[in-house]
Amino acid sequence: MTKWVLKGLKTGIVTTAYPDRDEAAPGVSPGLPGSGLAFDEESSSDAERCPTQAFIRDGQRLWVDYRRCVHCFRCAPGRQGSTQWQGGYEWAGRLSDARNKGPELGEVFQTSLHIRVVDAGACGACLSEIEQLNKPYYNIHRLGFFITPTPRDADVLLVAGPVTDHMRMTLKKVYEAMPTPKKVVAVGACALSGGVFGPSFISGAGVSDIIPVDVAVPGCPPPPLALIHGLLVMVDRKPSASWLSTTPVSGGKEDV
Amino acid sequence: MFETNSLFILFLLLCGIGAAVSAVTPGRRNPTVLSWIASASAIAILLASGDTLFFGHPFQLRLWDLFSFGPLALRMDRLSALFVFVTALVYLPVSIYSAAYMKEYLGRYSLRSFGIYYHLLFASIVLLLVAADVVTFLFCWELMSILSYLLVNYKHEDEYNTQAGYLMLAMSEAGTIAAALALLLLAGTSGKLDFASLKAASTGMSEPVRWAVFLLSFFGFGVKVGLVPSNIWLPRAHPAATGNVSALLSGVILNLGLYGILRVNADMLPLNQVAPGIIVLIVGTISALVGILYATTENDMKKMLAHSSIENMGIMTAGLGAGFVFMTSGHPVLAGIAFTAALYHMTNHALYKALLFLGVGAVDASIGHRDMDRLGGLIKVMPWTAFFVLVGALCIAALPPFNGFVSEWLTLQTMLRSAVLSSKAVKIVFALCGAALALTAALAVTCFVKAFAMSFLGVSRSQSAKTAIEVKPFMRVPMGMLALCCLLLGILPTYVIPVLDEAITPLTHESVSNALVPPFFTITQGDAKFSDAFIGEFHDLGAQTGRGLLPGRGLVVLHQGTEKNPVVFAMSTSYSFVVLVLLLGGAFVVVRRVTKERTVSRRPAWDGGLRRLMPEMTYTATGFSNPVRVIFEAVFRPSTFDDRKETIAGHFRMAIKNGREQVHIVDRSVFLPIVKAIQWAASLLGRMHTGSVNIYAAYVLISLFIVLMIQGLMR
Amino acid sequence: MENSMDETTFQSLPDAVAKRWPGQVQVNLDVRRSTCLLTCDSRLLPDICEWVCSTSGFRFATLVVEEEPAQWLLRYVFYGRSGIVQLHILLRTAKENVAIPSISGIVHAADWHERETEDLFGIIFTGHPRLGDFVLHEEWPEDVKPMRSAFDAHLPYRRRELDPEWRPHSIVQSPGAFMMPIGPVYSDVAESAHFLLETVGEDVIRTIPRFFYKYRGVEKISEGLPVEQVILLSERFSGTSAFAHSLAFCQAVEDIAGVDTPLRAKALRIVLAELERLRHHIAAIAGICGSTALSVATSQAGILEEEILRLTGSFTGHRYLFGLNRPGGLTRDFNNSTCLQVADDAARLIERLFKLNDMLRFTSSFLDRIEEVGIVSREQAIAYGLVGPIARASGLARDLRKALPYCGYETVAFDVPVETGGDGYARLRVLFHEAEQSARIIRKMAATLPDGEIAGPFEYAAGGALGWVEAPRGAAFHWVRITESGTVGRYRLTSPSFINWHGFHLAAEDFAFQDFPIIMATFGLSNAESDR
Repeated sequence: MTKWVLKGLKTGIVTTAYPDRDEAAPGVSPGLPGSGLAFDEESSSDAERCPTQAFIRDGQRLWVDYRRCVHCFRCAPGRQGSTQWQGGYEWAGRLSDARNKGPELGEVFQTSLHIRVVDAGACGACLSEIEQLNKPYYNIHRLGFFITPTPRDADVLLVAGPVTDHMRMTLKKVYEAMPTPKKVVAVGACALSGGVFGPSFISGAGVSDIIPVDVAVPGCPPPPLALIHGLLVMVDRKPSASWLSTTPVSGGKEDV
Repeated sequence: MFETNSLFILFLLLCGIGAAVSAVTPGRRNPTVLSWIASASAIAILLASGDTLFFGHPFQLRLWDLFSFGPLALRMDRLSALFVFVTALVYLPVSIYSAAYMKEYLGRYSLRSFGIYYHLLFASIVLLLVAADVVTFLFCWELMSILSYLLVNYKHEDEYNTQAGYLMLAMSEAGTIAAALALLLLAGTSGKLDFASLKAASTGMSEPVRWAVFLLSFFGFGVKVGLVPSNIWLPRAHPAATGNVSALLSGVILNLGLYGILRVNADMLPLNQVAPGIIVLIVGTISALVGILYATTENDMKKMLAHSSIENMGIMTAGLGAGFVFMTSGHPVLAGIAFTAALYHMTNHALYKALLFLGVGAVDASIGHRDMDRLGGLIKVMPWTAFFVLVGALCIAALPPFNGFVSEWLTLQTMLRSAVLSSKAVKIVFALCGAALALTAALAVTCFVKAFAMSFLGVSRSQSAKTAIEVKPFMRVPMGMLALCCLLLGILPTYVIPVLDEAITPLTHESVSNALVPPFFTITQGDAKFSDAFIGEFHDLGAQTGRGLLPGRGLVVLHQGTEKNPVVFAMSTSYSFVVLVLLLGGAFVVVRRVTKERTVSRRPAWDGGLRRLMPEMTYTATGFSNPVRVIFEAVFRPSTFDDRKETIAGHFRMAIKNGREQVHIVDRSVFLPIVKAIQWAASLLGRMHTGSVNIYAAYVLISLFIVLMIQGLMR
Repeated sequence: MENSMDETTFQSLPDAVAKRWPGQVQVNLDVRRSTCLLTCDSRLLPDICEWVCSTSGFRFATLVVEEEPAQWLLRYVFYGRSGIVQLHILLRTAKENVAIPSISGIVHAADWHERETEDLFGIIFTGHPRLGDFVLHEEWPEDVKPMRSAFDAHLPYRRRELDPEWRPHSIVQSPGAFMMPIGPVYSDVAESAHFLLETVGEDVIRTIPRFFYKYRGVEKISEGLPVEQVILLSERFSGTSAFAHSLAFCQAVEDIAGVDTPLRAKALRIVLAELERLRHHIAAIAGICGSTALSVATSQAGILEEEILRLTGSFTGHRYLFGLNRPGGLTRDFNNSTCLQVADDAARLIERLFKLNDMLRFTSSFLDRIEEVGIVSREQAIAYGLVGPIARASGLARDLRKALPYCGYETVAFDVPVETGGDGYARLRVLFHEAEQSARIIRKMAATLPDGEIAGPFEYAAGGALGWVEAPRGAAFHWVRITESGTVGRYRLTSPSFINWHGFHLAAEDFAFQDFPIIMATFGLSNAESDR
C-alpha cells in the first residue's frame, strides 16, 4: 500500500484554482453562442438552422435561450454559421419559480452542502461531467460540497435528463424524500428544455414540469466548471449569470 | 399472616377442587373457571413458599410411615422454596392468560381434560419439589411426566404432536429410570428411604458407587433438563403443546431436572472430586452452543424458543458445573457465587421464557401460524404484544437493565474466576467453556434480533400478518406482569442475591452475600469483616453518590482480588437504570425543545425510488440467519445443501429450487450411530435365524452343554 | 458438416439455398454491399436461422421491424466476415393473426430483440417463454404499442395508474428466498436502472434486471424528421459514444446514397473514433478502480480521464466530440500539425496509463476483488452474442474493425487483444491493451493524413441500409430507411450495451452481493445506450 501513498504524493496537486482564479486551460469548456448580437442575414440563417429553436429575435437583436442550446455548433464560425461564440463557463442562472416556497438555504450551507444526483434519463455525457467533480482536477470537496448516497441527507438535488416517463414518479419520490430546506439544480439542455428528445410520448420537456427548479445550468453537457459555478450560485457564493434576466426568453415555440 | 402449613393445605385443596370443577363445568366456561382457581392456588403457594424463602419459616409435613423404609415426608427448605416460588410466579400469569387463550380450542378438543391435567400438574410439581423421601419424589415425578405428556399430546389430531409427545414420554421415562436407580443406590446404602437418612449415610460410600450415582442422576435428570445428548425431544415437544403449556414446560418443568441434579449431587451426596464437575460444565457448554446455533437458524418461533431453552439450560448447567468444581477444589465462596448465578439465571429464564412463549402464543392466536418468513409489521397492529415480546427479547439477549444481563454476567464472571484453581488442565477447560458461553451470548443477540425484527418490524409479508388484531386484555395483563418482574429482577439484584444466597448456603456452608453484595452504603472504616483497602475502593466506586438514592446494598461486587485492588468486578444495574432513565428523559426533553419550531414531516421509507416496496423485497428470516448457517456449516451439515433443481428451456432458466434438509447434530452424532449399531447387531444376530430346524436343535444342545460346563466349574 | 457455409461462397449461395429448401426461399444478392437477402415464409424461419448460425462466422446483428400499410416486414440481420458481409432474412406477414416463431432458443441473442418488438409493436413470437413487461413498465396499458405508425409520438403525458397486483417475475422458489432491490436510484452517481437480486441471504442466485427507465423513444421520434435532425439524435442518445453512433448513422445514409467519403475524412474519422475509444476505456478503468475503492488508482485514472477530455475539447471544440459527423464527411477540418500534437499527447497519456497498469497488476487486494469474479465463459458469450471488450475478454476475437472493416480501417495495422479468462481482470486487461492500440492507430493516421476535402457533396437518396461501427463498448448496428421526401422512415438502433446487458446476469449470478457493483463496473455498460 505504501507505493500507492507515494504515488499519490508524487503526483502533487492538479486541482483547478477556480473559483479563486479563472481556469484558462484549453478544453475545459465548449463555450456558448453569443447572445444579444445584431440581427442580420447571416445570423438569420443561423437562427433557422438551429435544431432546437434556441434563437429568439427581439427587435434588432438575436438572443439565445441557452436552455435550448445543445452544442451542435451549426451556428458556429468554421462550421456552417457565423455567430460569434464565446468561451467561459459561468453559465448558471437562478430561476424564480413560484413553487419555490420553501425556506432558503442559510449561510451554513455555503461551505457544507450535500448533493444528491439523480439521472432522469440523461444520455451519459452530463453524468460523466458530474463524475469529474469528484476527481482530482475539480474536487468539489475542497469547496465543502459532497455527494450523498441518500436523499434524506441531501440539501440539493442535481438532476440531469429530460425526465422520461418511467422516471417521473421516481424523481418525485426523491424530491419528496428530501427534508427542507431543499433546492434543485437542473443541469444540461435536456433537463431544462427537453433537449433534442422531448417533449414526446415518453419523454418530458425538462425537470421544471415535475419539481420546482432553482438553478439552471445550461450546456450539452455543461462542463464541470459550469457545474461548480451552478452549485456556487445555489449557495450564493457566486452571482447568477445574467442571461435569464436580460434575454426575453419565452416558452420556446416562438422563433424568428 | 397465614401459617405456611395451612397455606400449603389450601393449595392442595384448591388444586383438587380445580380438577373436580373442571371435570363438570361445560366447555365454554371452563377456561375462566380454570384461570380463577389456578390463580388462587398459585397465590396460595406463592405466599407459602415466599414465607419459607424470605423469612425462613420451615415447612414440614410427615405423611405416614412406610413399613421399615422410613417416613414419607414433605419438607420445604429454602432451596425447594425457591423452586416452588418460581413455579408459582410463572403459573400465575399463565393461568390468567389461559382464560382467553384456551377459548380457541373450544369445540376442537376437550377443555375439561385440559383443566384436570392443568391443576393436577401444578399439584404434582409442587409436591415433588417438597418431597422429602424417595417414594413420594418418584411418584410425583412420574405423575408430572405423564401429565406433561398428556398436555403435550393435547392437540392429538396432528400426527406431529403425537409423535413429539411420544418421544418426550419415552425419553422422560428413560431418564426417570436412571434417576430412580441413582436414588435407589443411595437408599440401598442407607437402608431407609427418606432424604434425611440418605444424606446421613452418604459419607461412607465407595468411589464406584459415587460415580454411578453421579452419572445416573446427572444424565437421568439431564433428560428432563434437555442437555445434550438427550435434548432431541425438546424442540419437538415444546412447540407441539399449546402456548400456555409451552410456557410452563420451558419455564417450570425444565427447572425440575436442575432441582434433581442439585438435590442429589450437592445436598444428599456432595461431590468430592473435580472430574464430575468438569463433566457437568462441558455438557452444559455444549448444550448451550448447540441450542443457540439451531435457534438462530430456525424460522418457527416456538421451535426457536425451544432451542433457546436448551441454550439457557446449558448455561445454568455450566454454572452448576463451575460451582461443583470450585466446591471440590476448596473454594466454597466461589462455588456459592456460581450456584447463585445459576439459580438467578433459572429464575430469570423462567420469567422471560414464559413471557416470550405467551407473546408467541398471542401472535399464534391472532394470526394462525408462527412462521417468521410470513410475518412482519406486527408492531403496527399488535403494539402491546410487540412491546412485551421486545422486553422478553431484551432480557434473553442479556441486555441491561433487564434480568438476563445480571445472571449471564455473573455466570461469565465466575468462569473468569477460574484463575484461583491450581490445575492447569481445569483452567484450560474453564477458559474454553467461558469463550464458548460468550459466543452463545453473542449468538443469542443475533437470534433474538432476528426473531423480533422479522416478526414485528418491517413490512407485512402475508395477508394474515396485515390483518392481525391485538389480543384481549386478559392476555396482555399477564405478559405485562412478567415483563415487570423481569425489569424488577434486573434493577434490584442486590435484593435478590441475598435471598438466593440463603437458599444455597446449606449446600456450600459459606455465605456469599458479603462477597457479592457487601453493605455498600452502611459500611464504615474499621469493620472487621472487610479490609481497609476494600472499603477505600467504595469511595472510588461512588458510595457517596448513591446513598439514599439507590435501593438495597447498591452494587454487585466481587472482591478478594489482590491486596491493593481487592475489588475484582462491580456493577450496578440500579445505577445504570437510573442513569438510563435520566439520559433518555433528558434527551427527549432537549430534543422537544430544540425542534419546537422545526417542521416534522413524515415520509415513507426511502426505497431507492421503487414504484412500490413489496414484501418480497424485504429480508426474510432465512436470509438474515444465512451467514450463521454458512459459518457453522460443519455443525449443521445440511445433507442436500443447495440441491438446485433448475428448469431450463434453452437458455431460459425458468425456475430454481433450492432444497435443504438437515439432521440435528445430536441425532447425527449420537442417535443415528446407535441405531445403526443396533441394526447391525440385529442383522448379525439375524444370521442365526437360518430357518433350519437342525441348526436350532444344535443351538439348544450347545447352550445346554455350556450351562452344564458352568455348573460343573462352579462346583 | 454438409453444406457448411465455409465452403459456400457468395456466388454459390443461391444454389445452396435452393438445394435445401427448393422453391421456398427466394435469394437476392446485392453485390455492392456484399449482402445476401433471403425471403421466406415465417414457418421456415427457425430452420434457416439454425442453418445460418451453425456455420462458423455468422452472428446475429439485429431484428428490424418495419410497418408497411398492409403487412409487417421483419428483417433478421446476420453479419459474417468478408466474402458474405451481411445476410438478411426477410419475412412478410399480414397484419392480422401474426404468429412468428421465436428463434430465441436457437439464437439466444435474439431474445431481447423479440421482447422489445412484442412490447413496442405488438407482434407475438410463439414459443418465447417470457414476453411482456420489457420496455414499457407496468403502468402502460397492454394495448398501447408506441412503435405502430398509428401512434402519435407527440402525445402528451397522461397519468396512468399502477397495477396493484403487479409482481416481478421471480425465478428462485426456495423457502426463505427474497429479492433485494437495487435502484433505480443508486447510492452513487450512476445511471438509473433497477435490479432485483434473488437470494437466500448470501449469494446472488439470480438477477432480474429492469431497464428502460431511460427509454426516450429515439426510434419513434426520429420517424418523419429530416436527416440533419436525426443525426443529433444518433449522437446524443448516448453521449459517451456520440461519435461512434453518429458515424454508424452517417455510414448508413452514405450507403443508401451510394456515396464514398473522401479519404481525408475517413482518416480523420478514424482518429476521432479512436480518441473516443481511448477516453471511454480510461473512464471504464477509473470506474473499475472506483468500484473496488482503491482511491489513489481512481484518482490517477480520473486525472488521465480529465486530461483526455481536455485534449478532445481543445482539439475538436467539444469534450465529447459532439457535432462532428455529417453524411459525406466531417463538419470541420483539422490542422495536420495539430493532429500530430494530439497523437503525441495521446501517446504520453498511454505511457502514464501503463504506469498505472504496472502498479495495479501487483496490488493483490485489488486483484482479489476482480480476479475470478464475474466470469462469462466463451460458450455463454457465443450463445448470447456478446460484443466488445467483454466478449474479447472471454475469448471471442470479435471486432468489427477487423471483421467488417469500415471507414478505411482495412488500411490500418493494429492488434485486437483477446483474453480467455472471462473474469473481471481479463476485462481490465483488454481495456488497457485496447487503449494502447487506439493510441497507436491515432499516431499512424496522424502521421499519414491524406490531403483532400473534408466532406464531399451529398445528395440524399431513398432506400434502406445498415451502418455499423465498433463503438467503444462493442459492435453497434444502425438500420436506416430514408423515404422519398428525404426524411427518416425507420431508424433501428442496436447498441452494444443492449446486446451486453442481456448477458450481464451470467456474470453476476452465483457471486456474493458485495461483488455485484464491481462486476457491473467491469462490464462498463451504459443504460442510456441500451435504453435509447
